[in-house]
Amino acid sequence: MSLDTLPAAALPAAPPPRRGSRQGGARMDTVTKLVITAVVLILAILIGYPLVRILTQAFGAEGLETLRNIATSSANRAVLLNTVVLGVLVGAVGTAIGFAFAYAQARLDFRGRKLLHLIALLPIVSPPFAVATAVITLFGRSGLVTNKMLGLDYNIYGLTGLTLVLSLSFFPVAYMNLLGMLRSLDPATDEAASSLGANRWKIFRSVTIPMLIPGFASCFLLLFVEAIADLANPLVIGGDFTVLSSRAYIAITGEYDVASGAAYSLVLLLPGLLVFLVQRYWAERRSVVSVTGKPSGNITLLRSPLARIPLLTVVLAIAALIVAIYVTVFVGAFTAILGVNNTFTLANYRYVLSGIGSDAMFTTTILALIATPVAGVLGMVLAWLVVRKVRRGRGALDFLGMLGLAVPGTVLGIGYALAFNKPFIIGNIQLLPALAGGGAIFGGALAIVMVYVIRSMPSGQRSGIAALQQIDPAIDEASTSLGASGLRTFRSITLPLIRPALLSGLTYAFARAMTTLSPIIFITTPQTKIMTSQILSEVDSGRFGNAFAYCTILIAIVLGVIGLMNLLIRDRRAPARVN
Amino acid sequence: MKRTAALTAALLGSATLGLSGCVVDDTQQASADGELGGTLTVACGAMEDWCQAMTTAFTKKTGVQTDFVRLSSGETVARLEAAKDSPEFDVWHGGPADGYGTAAAAGLLEQYESPNAAQIPEKYRDEDDYWTGVYVGALGFCSNQAKLDALGVDVPTAWSDLLVPELKGQVSTAHPSTSGTAFTTLWTQVTLAGGDEDAAFDYMRGLHNNVLQYSKSGTAPGQAAGRGEVAVGLVFTHDCVKYKEAGMNDLEVSLPEEGTGYEVGGVGIVKGTDNLAAAKAYIDWSLTPEAQDIGPTVGSYQVLTNPESVQDDRMIDLETTNLVDYDFEAAAAAKKELTTRFDEEIAAQPRE
Repeated sequence: MSLDTLPAAALPAAPPPRRGSRQGGARMDTVTKLVITAVVLILAILIGYPLVRILTQAFGAEGLETLRNIATSSANRAVLLNTVVLGVLVGAVGTAIGFAFAYAQARLDFRGRKLLHLIALLPIVSPPFAVATAVITLFGRSGLVTNKMLGLDYNIYGLTGLTLVLSLSFFPVAYMNLLGMLRSLDPATDEAASSLGANRWKIFRSVTIPMLIPGFASCFLLLFVEAIADLANPLVIGGDFTVLSSRAYIAITGEYDVASGAAYSLVLLLPGLLVFLVQRYWAERRSVVSVTGKPSGNITLLRSPLARIPLLTVVLAIAALIVAIYVTVFVGAFTAILGVNNTFTLANYRYVLSGIGSDAMFTTTILALIATPVAGVLGMVLAWLVVRKVRRGRGALDFLGMLGLAVPGTVLGIGYALAFNKPFIIGNIQLLPALAGGGAIFGGALAIVMVYVIRSMPSGQRSGIAALQQIDPAIDEASTSLGASGLRTFRSITLPLIRPALLSGLTYAFARAMTTLSPIIFITTPQTKIMTSQILSEVDSGRFGNAFAYCTILIAIVLGVIGLMNLLIRDRRAPARVN
Repeated sequence: MKRTAALTAALLGSATLGLSGCVVDDTQQASADGELGGTLTVACGAMEDWCQAMTTAFTKKTGVQTDFVRLSSGETVARLEAAKDSPEFDVWHGGPADGYGTAAAAGLLEQYESPNAAQIPEKYRDEDDYWTGVYVGALGFCSNQAKLDALGVDVPTAWSDLLVPELKGQVSTAHPSTSGTAFTTLWTQVTLAGGDEDAAFDYMRGLHNNVLQYSKSGTAPGQAAGRGEVAVGLVFTHDCVKYKEAGMNDLEVSLPEEGTGYEVGGVGIVKGTDNLAAAKAYIDWSLTPEAQDIGPTVGSYQVLTNPESVQDDRMIDLETTNLVDYDFEAAAAAKKELTTRFDEEIAAQPRE
């Protein structure tokens, strides 16, 4: 899921133009040039080449036929329409839930507010399908709630179920974004409106909401992209509602029809990129919030019961649903067949922890741990280049880095399978060995690390850019004029100052790597087993108990490592000034 | 010096990518023969615990470190095809033989006539020795009795019973592109229609209206029925028996009176394996009663192909079951075209 927009939510993503003399872009030392070359080269390999391969496949003869087919066949058009409908619904519902939570968090005072915050973040650290599987158990045809408690024969499969599951899985992104914006809104505007005689509702309608519109737009678009890229939930709870990503998945896993897979993913890529561009260059530029500094007054909390009660009811109901889902996961992990045979058992854990399960657990954690610092540092270097060093082509460099987020996971995974399953050979010189697939070096683990890096790097990049913009370039210049090289300045001046940003970047990078599925599923190999794809195979075969056990372990690992990371990095030095 | 370390890591990472430029070596590595050793990776098409028990037993017996990945039949062919030049797998074990036929035709399997194959009845062996049968299973209906009672529908005993409107959204089956089980269902319809593919597709189209969703794995429909998410799952009967034993007490096995399809679960060597000696040893071993008898110990009650292997009441009686005349070779040859057609004409279509 997309965590990447969180840290920089309230800040413009592209650095505002500064006055020339502070730029530093004009005098570039050799080291900086080398760094730029290296970063561009790395990005070209990590994201450029796979995308090029997708394009060449999709516009090859077979791919073109599929593309034509998508345009002409009515069934395929229906699939396309389904995909868009799902994206729009999840975008709208997810943003609404995110806003309700954020508003309650920022403007209401009630007991358990901190707890509510944690509940809202729970879906971030949990693997995909934890939600889908639990929702089927609770609200399925024989669901504990719908059938056993209420005696209904309710059909959750299809658009309703998918919207529910995807909205619950992705809304934390909207929540964090909007919470950041709400908190940085200047209370002075509220006060001004209120002293002009506006009541709370009027302020909400004509001050708060208009200021948040760019935020709504960008949340909606992000959730839209996440929803159309998701390939596994449609398989698990989609019912007769077919979408493009799962079509691409079946074409590739079932028929090895790579050309069609590439064609389907091209169709996914276009809205993904479009949405991303709109979000970056329209929504964020129009953001009213970003020009204000820190809040200058105190926020007046909402006290009118007329507004409080309905909002709190909605938010608490959804929070209760989330808690119920994770309780189901936890209980289900210790139950034989939840809902059918409710005896306590440790068999699920025994199954998961012996053999393949522990193997996958170990491999996934190690690979994510390797990828996390690489992604974090790469993101910081890129941020540093974008903010401080590069003037011409800055936008392009920034965009290249953000591609890892803008490209839907399904597309990225297919691109990797296409690009790296075979050695990259020109003439008879092997430029790259096969990186993905079981026959590749390190059993294909390198390609997985690469996917983790490119998917997680944008979070580091964005928080890095946000942090760097708050640091006066004069500090850099002082260092340079004392004779330090660009790299030395970065290492000993800049990096320590952006440590908190680095930490949050690393945390998201790790959580994201551990829970990512859609790009990974196309490049896991027998030698390199990844937990999320193991969970998919358990869910798909209907062994929910094992899936629940996997999920609890994955959540424990993510929380444990994030905790350790915080301890390690925080303890090393007094907290930096910048935050 | 955390920063330095992290930076070094980043640089090292990029160096690894850069340093790999070297001249392509076309010569194949000679595989070790004689002594068994090294590792084996098995693509396993049966139940997960079956795969686990088999590979563990083989490791114990020979010392060859054997791992497996559970893959559906279509997935296996796709994976073998994708990694043709440097295979990820050495052996394919379990899953309907139709898939093995497709793989053999695509040049993905290695011919091998095991000395132990002589013990296996001829009808369960490939003429060209690309695969040998290890078990036999019949397709059946895996129904949830409680669910059927609630719907007021009798246990289905004919293919046409699945088409009644009361069962709308109450049937679960897998996707024939990925699942060998589901392809067996599709080919059974072709056989029942006397080879008329259009008639078979008419049936599948009718069934489509009652199908809740197509799963990737062929065993999932039994689970869905067991949990009461659907009333009927289309699976091999042994899978249904297994779920019932595991505690899904409402499950009921029945067979279509028109005749049902069956699978011969195969075993074969992946072409280009770099541990041919161990792969051959694995095939030899998998045909022995010693290996086949492991199945029932983990709740898999397929009929075993070696006449010396154990028999169990929970296995289906092939003598008394009305089986269609399933032509594995023709099925394998038609597989690609039929699954593509299914994907286009049926899977993506809206339901009525």
